[in-house]
Amino acid sequence: MQHGIFYLLIRLGGTRAAVPLLHAVALYYVLLRPSIRRRTLPYLTRRFPAAPTWRRLLLAYRMIVEFGKVLIDRAAMGMSGLDPHSITLSGRETLLGVLGEGHGVVLLTAHVGCWQTGMAALNFIDVPVHLLMQREEGDIDLHYFEHRGLPCPFRIIDPRGFLGGSIEMLQALKRGEVVSVMGDRDSGSVRNTVAVEFLGGTARFPFSPFKIAAAAGAPVVVLLSHRTGLSSAHLEVVDVIRVPDNLRVDPEEFKPFVEKFVKTLEDYVTAHPFQFFNFYDMWDINAAQEPVRNTAPSLRSMRL
Amino acid sequence: MTTKEQLKQILVSDLNLEDMTPEQIPDDSPLFGQGLGLDSLDAVELVVIVQRHFGVEIKDMQEARSAFQTVETLATLIDERRPTT
Repeated sequence: MQHGIFYLLIRLGGTRAAVPLLHAVALYYVLLRPSIRRRTLPYLTRRFPAAPTWRRLLLAYRMIVEFGKVLIDRAAMGMSGLDPHSITLSGRETLLGVLGEGHGVVLLTAHVGCWQTGMAALNFIDVPVHLLMQREEGDIDLHYFEHRGLPCPFRIIDPRGFLGGSIEMLQALKRGEVVSVMGDRDSGSVRNTVAVEFLGGTARFPFSPFKIAAAAGAPVVVLLSHRTGLSSAHLEVVDVIRVPDNLRVDPEEFKPFVEKFVKTLEDYVTAHPFQFFNFYDMWDINAAQEPVRNTAPSLRSMRL
Repeated sequence: MTTKEQLKQILVSDLNLEDMTPEQIPDDSPLFGQGLGLDSLDAVELVVIVQRHFGVEIKDMQEARSAFQTVETLATLIDERRPTT
């Protein structure tokens, strides 16, 4: 129902029309829905360790508003199409350069900024782009390309498919194509993660992107984004990580590469503190013994 | 040595199946999940192993799906596709 109200406001008055309601919803969540507010705390207490309790309420409010803006942008982009001036990209030549090497590219992203709509700015890539992406049963949360019933511009690899989509990813890379995966959250088991320092604590990050890159001989391009305003964003190729192709089975062999990515992510999050949207306790290593679930408040859970 | 025997030896050594000997791996034991207990990242390694040791490239999903069932099915694919020397 509230999805519909937001969509209606966006259709009638653009993104600005939806923002006042977003603030009201965020205030409601912070004051009256402690379960949602608590989801912001693991990150906020790491990023702002000195903040007293009252300030954490404000920080949680801001986080929820910022996340809501990402969702509003996504819906607006889906309804009205991509404004080519709304998303800028630095590192385009770097990306085209590594693609030109012909070994495919692992595009490593994270839940930072507008990680979904930002992908629309990659339409200059002339090889297929695959996204490792899982849709939940009954998910009413729409991706930007679904609002107008457009065909998906990407090829979706479902991690619930045959062998977690790993063979599909490897074969795509061997054809010289792009495979985009998230490097800050793992939907599989703890076995495929390594423990790395992140924002002053130890968290588990998947090494699978690096493993697949090593097997394919593909470079890993770290692509992160941040919103620069309502309906505008900037994408950056922030690093190119090359993994030797002789690394094999031991997860610790991949740890230096994961650490390099995590350090890059930490720097990015430090620069854009309200645009990191991993709403679960990444630092709870014991909880990570079970398969990590995506507990981020989605459009559905935020009723936005 | 048959392809199956070779494959079992390589599985134990290259995939670090430390608590297992090649002789303990049944031909019809599932490679993934229950059975040998390999996972999706082991599958990536298996593609590399098959190419490196046997010169066989697993090119599409259909082929992978049918070959990556048991040692038996994988060895059959290797025998069919292995370059003759």
